[in-house]
Amino acid sequence: MQRKHNDFSKAIKKHVNENYLKDDDRRSFLNNFSDWPSPTNEKWRLSRLGKLARKSFIPYVSSSKKIKETSATNEDFFSLVFINGIFCKESSDKLPKEIEMSFLSAKDLISNLRDVNNRSVLNHPTLNITGSCFQDFIKLKIKANCSIAKPIELLQTGNCPHNSIHPLILIEVEKNSKIKILEKFKTNVALNAPLQILKLEKNSKIEFIKFHNDDSETTNLSLLISFLKEDATCNIFNLINGGAFTRSETHSYLKGKNSSMNLNCVYLSTDSQHHDVTSSIYHDFPNCNSSQKVRGVLNKNSTGVFQGKIRVEKKAQKTNAQQMSRALILSDKALSNSKPELEIYADDVVCSHGATVGELDEEQIFYFLSRGIDKQKARFMMIEAFLSEIIEESVDKVFLDEVLNETEIAFKKILEN
Amino acid sequence: MSILNIKNIHLSIEDKSILKGVSLNVNPGEVHAIMGPNGSGKSTLSYILSGKEGYELSSGNIYFDNKDLLELSANERSNQGLFLAFQYPVELPGVSSMNFLREAVNVRRKFLGKKELNHLEFVKEARRLASSMFIKDEMLKRSVNVGFSGGEKKRFEILQMMLLEPKLAILDETDSGLDVDALKIVSNGVNNYKGKDNAVIVITHYQRLLDYIVPDYVHILADGVIKKSGGPELAKIIEKNGYAGIVDAA
Repeated sequence: MQRKHNDFSKAIKKHVNENYLKDDDRRSFLNNFSDWPSPTNEKWRLSRLGKLARKSFIPYVSSSKKIKETSATNEDFFSLVFINGIFCKESSDKLPKEIEMSFLSAKDLISNLRDVNNRSVLNHPTLNITGSCFQDFIKLKIKANCSIAKPIELLQTGNCPHNSIHPLILIEVEKNSKIKILEKFKTNVALNAPLQILKLEKNSKIEFIKFHNDDSETTNLSLLISFLKEDATCNIFNLINGGAFTRSETHSYLKGKNSSMNLNCVYLSTDSQHHDVTSSIYHDFPNCNSSQKVRGVLNKNSTGVFQGKIRVEKKAQKTNAQQMSRALILSDKALSNSKPELEIYADDVVCSHGATVGELDEEQIFYFLSRGIDKQKARFMMIEAFLSEIIEESVDKVFLDEVLNETEIAFKKILEN
Repeated sequence: MSILNIKNIHLSIEDKSILKGVSLNVNPGEVHAIMGPNGSGKSTLSYILSGKEGYELSSGNIYFDNKDLLELSANERSNQGLFLAFQYPVELPGVSSMNFLREAVNVRRKFLGKKELNHLEFVKEARRLASSMFIKDEMLKRSVNVGFSGGEKKRFEILQMMLLEPKLAILDETDSGLDVDALKIVSNGVNNYKGKDNAVIVITHYQRLLDYIVPDYVHILADGVIKKSGGPELAKIIEKNGYAGIVDAA
């Protein structure tokens, strides 16, 4: 029996009309959203939104009600705190003068996305709902020729189980600049729909770590869009362990020669969690590199998805694009899907992809046992090894301890019975 | 009092009878060599002793240090002091050799009621023994057995034996794939380890290793039974004449 969807599109239309009646730009996003993508939509076939569609919720709007504030405590970072998608100045650190912070409008969002023509982005529910319902649209601009050693921490918190929240941020790294960012999603909301845009100018670099660790009932539909100019490097590492359903989707446009996009991910899933890593990298210029490496560990009834697309345009000769997905299944009921998609129109390229799904190797386990190490510890050490390989390869050393620590907590949790 | 007492064990795998009544008694201070043609059940015996899944006996008993060995899980056997040097050590990508060794050593120490070693204490001890096996520091930083040559893998097995100080070490074809120099290093390691309180079982196809690790007893395993037992001279006879004469179809 098919259960009826709650009519979310009607609810947000009403919501936008009530709150932002005069904002036609927001309405242009809203007009692109008719309903949640259906399972017949190829991009969403492996990650179905039926459960979300049956939930009843509306977007969060700031109220005068005082929210319990989280305060940033870590001195190793410049922390910026967001509550329910709203920037919380009192709890945040002052940024150095090399970083300019401003608030943008829906019109700015449109202008920043004018180069995007993919339907999977333009029809993405996060783009259209967040584009129409966001509370704060923050822009961080890293001025040219600055290398900022102390990382920025973006703390995305939220507590409104019957609302959706819509964090929206644009990070622009001007030429020859470098920035390191750690973002933590830790919300208890119906839907967390963050939209992020990264613009990397010539010879700039960003190290971006993201922890997706929302509450067990939360759906997270993250969408990140990055644009890289000549010689720019964007390294993103995603750790996904929270939420009932988390999809981290990334679209990267390589818009200048010698640019480099590395998008690596670890997901750790248990119970009936669903974790999805979807990424598309568009090689539009020659001599660019990209890598998409994903490792997942799944226990109990959890499911994992990796959908990785590489598109190499005809003029993007000497492209080097690698893709590899490996999943470790710890239970008979866990499931991992991998769907590579390579569209290559250039002839002088190196592109590779591969996917493996497997269990822990019994011969390897026996080697541990034969040295007195019990089965539980053996499993632990093997999973740790499986994950630390990719983490050590992907994560900047300034974040390494934090990432290893967070990963260890997460995989201890999924090993629990 | 014996360290190992194997009493009339039988084992079948998928209806094929592999061991058809093997008995063996090993006392402290002894070195036993088990020889035999390919497929005679030598490695099977090592898997039974070390507790590998799928190698459960159909009948017979095994006592290790006066305990019923078959009641113990594989890791408990190791904790109690039984060690197997593998013929084909597996690779553990991403598991650093040093961490692996430390974990194993501390589990054993804990079992023996000794204080666990901290990282520094352990590294010092591991390096000392590793250098005696001509294992470089750099190798200990690599993943277990990953990228090790055949000889390095075997030396690493013996290093583990030295660190774990077992009561009984079973060396399964440790000589296979070793050149003379490596054979000497490995043998020296074993000879330095053996003493009046522990025992060694050397499983080998060839007599060669027994020039370096001299056994007190040699047993010929063939067709699932011990066909003949004797002193070191038995190995020499086999070197000269092969298994013919002892085994029907060698």
